[in-house]
Amino acid sequence: MKHVIDRAAERIETEITKGSVYERLDKYEIEILTFLVTLIIAKSIGIESILKKYSLFEAMRTEKYLTEDLRRERNNERKRLLLFKIFEDLFKMNVDLDSKDSNLFKVKVTDYLTRAPNFHEEEWKLINRLVHNGYVYLDADETVRLIRSELTSLIYSRVKTMTLSNLPDSIKAKVDDLRIKLQPHYEYRRYQPTHYPPCIKKALDVMNRGENLPHSARLMLATYMLAIGKSVEDIIILFHNAPDYNENITKYQVEHLAGNRGSHTKYSVPSCEKLRNENLCFATEECDGITNPIQFMSKLFKK
Amino acid sequence: MITSKDSDKSIALVRSAFRQYYFKHSKNIGIPTRMKEREFGYKQFSSGIVRHLSFRNIGELLAILIREAPSDIYCSNGFYRFPTYPMQEKQWGGADLIFDIDAKDLQLPCEQTHSYLLCMNCGVVSEKKIDSCPKCDFSKLNHISVPCNKCVFSLKKEVMKLINLLITDLGIKKNCIEVYFSGNNGFHLHILDNRFDTLDSRARADLVGYLMGIGMMVESIGVRKRSEGFLIKFPKSGLSYGWRKRIANKLGIDQLSIVKLNNIVQQKGGYDGFREELSRLTREGGVRIDPHVTTDIHRVFRMPGTLNSKSGLTKMRCDDLELFDPFINACLLGENEVNVEAKAHVNLKLKGQSFKIKKQTQRLPLYVAVYLICKGIAELS
Repeated sequence: MKHVIDRAAERIETEITKGSVYERLDKYEIEILTFLVTLIIAKSIGIESILKKYSLFEAMRTEKYLTEDLRRERNNERKRLLLFKIFEDLFKMNVDLDSKDSNLFKVKVTDYLTRAPNFHEEEWKLINRLVHNGYVYLDADETVRLIRSELTSLIYSRVKTMTLSNLPDSIKAKVDDLRIKLQPHYEYRRYQPTHYPPCIKKALDVMNRGENLPHSARLMLATYMLAIGKSVEDIIILFHNAPDYNENITKYQVEHLAGNRGSHTKYSVPSCEKLRNENLCFATEECDGITNPIQFMSKLFKK
Repeated sequence: MITSKDSDKSIALVRSAFRQYYFKHSKNIGIPTRMKEREFGYKQFSSGIVRHLSFRNIGELLAILIREAPSDIYCSNGFYRFPTYPMQEKQWGGADLIFDIDAKDLQLPCEQTHSYLLCMNCGVVSEKKIDSCPKCDFSKLNHISVPCNKCVFSLKKEVMKLINLLITDLGIKKNCIEVYFSGNNGFHLHILDNRFDTLDSRARADLVGYLMGIGMMVESIGVRKRSEGFLIKFPKSGLSYGWRKRIANKLGIDQLSIVKLNNIVQQKGGYDGFREELSRLTREGGVRIDPHVTTDIHRVFRMPGTLNSKSGLTKMRCDDLELFDPFINACLLGENEVNVEAKAHVNLKLKGQSFKIKKQTQRLPLYVAVYLICKGIAELS
């Protein structure tokens, strides 16, 4: 078990400090156990940004090995089963093999369009794809790339909803060790309201006084809080004082902004320029040089 | 176009003709699917738009149409949990995929032969190109077009091109595509395929780029940039479908034509020159749709079977596009004669009859009078 715990810790450390996929592969029994232990460690460290980064790199690791499996598998029926189990079962995305070339995968044009426009590279534009009769034809790595963000969210939400009872000492020691190592990288992320940029402070003031905040300011506040890692539940509490507060509507809207609904697109914090145009900017000297409120805190802590 | 400068008499005539239409032709009005979840809106003559309305059934809507006789009636392409709430609180559930093809985007050569300029201050109409009003020197002039058969022919060709792309590339069934004459100088397409309903604005923008032929990379056709010039390497997924196939056909190449494509790229001036050529080819092969209409998932869109106040013609379903003649099939107002004073010479054909309108007071059937008043070219005398 010590081998598994060490591997799990090494895997998280590689992902967080190097920002790369952990590429060592062991026997599948060891891999499954290691993955489970990484989930426990990521949860126990308790730092939101570490959990998010861990979820992304775990998704990318899955992407890498899934692509290899799809490329290597010669038996089309087994390939189909793999596609079905991962894409259809988990993400309701139907993927099939091209009847002429089994190295090509076809996805419905609507499934493609709900995912690919979030990628910024030109090559992902629909016009640069092979499109026919309602399907987009992709190779293995392109097909798997389509679900990266959903895989990330899946891993993230599974960790978030885990409840852990007492940890074995061996894991607890690793968690403490990792937290000490990794925490300095993320210290500044544990934001205090006094560290918020002036536009956000102003919006919170108005909200706390129970006055009406315009829609654009609510959008700014919610996207900002999401960006610094606040949970949907915490953000809903912020809006309690709004005179027109309605829990269901607020929940729907914040979940939409967080990318948990509709097209699963996470909304970004509006730029300083946009906020200036909407009269929501209350810049101070400390804002000099930033173009988005989200840069305020990192600037503050770099001083 | 009807403006607040039009006389009360002219507006009253048009309004009464519209009311009569809704009374007589209520069966033309297309009942939207999921009606209770739609947002409705209407414009009144000489006043703003009323939005965020909801109707439980067609009867409730008709009552408003006959009572108010609005200038234009709209229904959202989107459906909502609370259609009457402010936009941010409506709770969007999806939106029909819609397209608008307008003659103004086709830059047709016939356009200048039937264009007029209307002074937004004094209502003077000029048949010549002017920068300011010859009567009051006001510089805000509105462009008016009295479309001709050539416009309709070109519009239909564009609609056919779009339908073809929707079927062959996007796999939309022909019976899911409803085509409507817009009621003025264009066509609307409503797609009844709920797979597209939940696409957000960004996804629809990607779709629009595809249909308009914008953003194709030369790499998609097999031309890659190298520090010294370019290299031909065809994509693994081939050139057999969609835009790649259309461009390959235009260039006369296939996946084996490395030398031929190499020569074509050389001829066009290398990587950058070929990129410009590809952009020209895709724009030429793409459809000229209004991108704002398709990407707007909260749009209130003109309702099928209702009148367009820019012409007095109906937004009419075209079951047989080839045979459809908007100047006959969408011209449904009454025929009793009224005296109007035309502000310009106009030749037009409505309900199969030609009219040579002179710049004077004359007696004309109601449907012609309303058409000219709606265009801003005549006043009730």
